[in-house]
Amino acid sequence: MVSKLGDWLNERTGWRATYTAVFLRKIPKINWAYTLGSATLFAMVIQIVTGILLTLYYVPEPQQAYASVSYITNELPFGWLIRGLHHWGASAMVLLVVLHMVRVIIYGAYKYPREFTWITGVALLLLTFSFGFTGYLLPWDQRAYWATVVGTQIGEVTPIVGDTLRAVMLGGEEISGLTLSRFYGAHVWVLPSVLLLLVGIHLYLVIRNGITSVPKRGE
Amino acid sequence: MTEDAEQPVVEAEGSAAESSDGPETEAAGVSRRKLLIGSVGVMSGAIAAGVGVPAIFYVAGPAQEQGGEQEWIRLGSVSSVELGAQTLMKATVERRAGYLTTTEELSVFVSTENGSDFVALSNICTHLGCRVRWVDEQDGFFCPCHNAVFGPDGSVQTGPPPRPLDRFETKVEDGQIFIRKT
Repeated sequence: MVSKLGDWLNERTGWRATYTAVFLRKIPKINWAYTLGSATLFAMVIQIVTGILLTLYYVPEPQQAYASVSYITNELPFGWLIRGLHHWGASAMVLLVVLHMVRVIIYGAYKYPREFTWITGVALLLLTFSFGFTGYLLPWDQRAYWATVVGTQIGEVTPIVGDTLRAVMLGGEEISGLTLSRFYGAHVWVLPSVLLLLVGIHLYLVIRNGITSVPKRGE
Repeated sequence: MTEDAEQPVVEAEGSAAESSDGPETEAAGVSRRKLLIGSVGVMSGAIAAGVGVPAIFYVAGPAQEQGGEQEWIRLGSVSSVELGAQTLMKATVERRAGYLTTTEELSVFVSTENGSDFVALSNICTHLGCRVRWVDEQDGFFCPCHNAVFGPDGSVQTGPPPRPLDRFETKVEDGQIFIRKT
């Protein structure tokens, strides 16, 4: 029954060829360090799902932001779980992308013909940091506020454009409701759009070029 | 993992070029590949359920919140109700939605035949929730949305409403009228 449905769909979509290319592709003999990319992808999916769920209740407005987060955490059923997954998942993302990058450096997997995969990977690393930075403000508590003060002042030391950069980031001279709403917009719309595009390219390249084998002595 | 280092790690099914040896079968008749695919499926399902089931409760959370015991709401003085007429009385009620408390105006048509027994009718049309108003010429409540008419006792005269106007429980205390949702 299921296989018949699969055949029916395959005749019309050719999904089996894609499935084979993605999941049944040939790979060299490798080790557990090669699972870090997939682990990152998994963490990303968790972040997307829990993030979408959080937007159902979170309100990016100074009077309500903290109250809505507190409502999610303390009053909603499993709100603590959804927020907890998103909170710890964010740290896991940073950890995993860095470990993934370290593996690629150590095994020299950034070399020809995979330079462009590496470049998109670096962009994804920076995106992950941007997610962390913009998401950190959203609970709108003291830690969020002062972390953003510090973070934007770090941005201010950028030569020549520093002051402008900080003002654009904050939407003014000081942290305000404008900062909160633009961080929220960046966190849930701008960054995810770019992220999905880049992840798509990154994965396409991983499949197209195949993965590297563990380098041998003398290579 | 180590004992089958000679085996190809992944066999591309359906790519005829490489299918020299068939899928390895064990005594039970379940190939290693099938078992692994199966366990990946089971684990994925478990993780999806681990997030998905709490998510259902999370999404449905506010719908579960009970208002608790209905409270008596003070409408106003008994003397403001005219005998044998419909008097629109208003009260502000607090409504708690999640972490927000808002005030909302409640409008109720109050009437009495003898000055001691009061009838309080909601002004919300039972069809689709528009607000009805009293029309003297029709001797009834008129709903502007779909031309429904309710009688002075709230019964449906014409139009689509499925049931009469909602009635509140009433009581009089110290010359004040109170209502309560039933």
